[in-house]
Amino acid sequence: MNKFIILVYFILVTGQQLVAQKYIARQGRIALFSYTPVENIKAENNQVLSIIDLSKGRIAVSMLMHAFIFEKALMREHFNESYVESDIYPKATFEGEIIDFEPLLAGEQTRIIKGNFTMHGVSQELEIKAKINYVDDGYQLSGNFEAIVDDYHIKIPPLLAGNIAKVISVDFKFEYEPYQE
Amino acid sequence: MSPIKNNIVLVILLLLTGIPASAQDLLQILEEEQPEQLRYADATFKTTRITFGHSVESRKKGILEIFVANRFWDGPAQRSQSFFADRLSTRLALEYALSDRLSTGLGGTTWDGLFDGFLKYRLIRQSAGKEGASVSVTLFQNASYYSEGVSDPTIEDTFTDRLSFTTQALVASRVNRNFSLQLAPTFVHKGLSYYGEPSRNHFALGVGGRYKLGQHLSFVSEYYWLLNPADSPKTYGPFSIGVNWELGDVMLQFMLTNAVNMVEEAFITGTRNNFNFRSPNLNFGFNFVYVIHFRRNLRD
Repeated sequence: MNKFIILVYFILVTGQQLVAQKYIARQGRIALFSYTPVENIKAENNQVLSIIDLSKGRIAVSMLMHAFIFEKALMREHFNESYVESDIYPKATFEGEIIDFEPLLAGEQTRIIKGNFTMHGVSQELEIKAKINYVDDGYQLSGNFEAIVDDYHIKIPPLLAGNIAKVISVDFKFEYEPYQE
Repeated sequence: MSPIKNNIVLVILLLLTGIPASAQDLLQILEEEQPEQLRYADATFKTTRITFGHSVESRKKGILEIFVANRFWDGPAQRSQSFFADRLSTRLALEYALSDRLSTGLGGTTWDGLFDGFLKYRLIRQSAGKEGASVSVTLFQNASYYSEGVSDPTIEDTFTDRLSFTTQALVASRVNRNFSLQLAPTFVHKGLSYYGEPSRNHFALGVGGRYKLGQHLSFVSEYYWLLNPADSPKTYGPFSIGVNWELGDVMLQFMLTNAVNMVEEAFITGTRNNFNFRSPNLNFGFNFVYVIHFRRNLRD
């Protein structure tokens, strides 16, 4: 009987390690777009971290604001210095739940992710539609949403109001692999 | 072993396997996964000049600055019929960043007839974290050519006599998010100029600072202390107070100063009036910088 228990235990433990509970993306990509008649601004961050906990359908994202690279080098300085104030708020984070997530569903599923996005020290509740693709023991997650600059208490001086859109379009793409604790 | 005991052992084992999987907060895990990155303190100054003198800042690779510097001042006469100001001097320059560390520029000034060129190299960059350098150091070297006539006809001059050189080690620290301070030990070899005095070597120490008044506006001031000024004509240390204002691709600098000249060796060793609000001592300075990005990459 004892042997049986130990056997069951090892099956459970090793089984848990084979079917990972958490998946991590270390080189997630987030792109920002601001379209105005005066100027189009594009920025990219290729070092975004994200993790999914399959058992609860929870997801978290963390990015360094300083890692956003702009087409114009000077914009990166302005972005960090004058707008997102990355010396005080170095990171933007998201934490939420993938509603009705089915981890074992093969192929693509479109799900709503509901959670809190925190940037510039301000949290906003967001509902984001995302495509989730299960391939080769990994997940791909992509989608986009819009962030209203004003919601995050980011001040744009009146003289530059024409250059920076009031609503920033945010594209995201993550590729997850099993996370070893 | 009884079946009940067996079950207890099983439950305990199951709990033990379950605990490490759920105890940690997801954001906490990401916090730990975040690779350590060395970050440099950005924007010790917003512009490549504090007011008239160079700051430790240089532009990123591929950026061209169209630099238009103006000084307006009045003559000593009580009455004058000039529109706005009696005198105007303009330095027009193109300044280009060859790399993130090395930049160069060429300029010409209308009033004192100086043509100048410089090289600027960012040797050390201040780190934003606790580790790394606590100051930024930029090396600066310029050469200028005096193109105007010399008043004394007995003086024979050659091309090399008309060259002046300034060497500076700009040392600055972004003390906190609003306040930055710069020290600039300077060596000047002064060539021939209008008064025909012989060339000589000078040592000077520059002090400059900025205080951010807002996200886009900062208060700036600068002073150069000349350690061995020439006896004749008498000169004074150039001083300035002003504001720097950034507007996207345009940087504006406004200043009040006693320095008429805009090339380093000229304002450090050749400022002939002390700073006060009387004419012709007071100059109003206005620098306009337009930034053009020739390199537009979404990669570092």
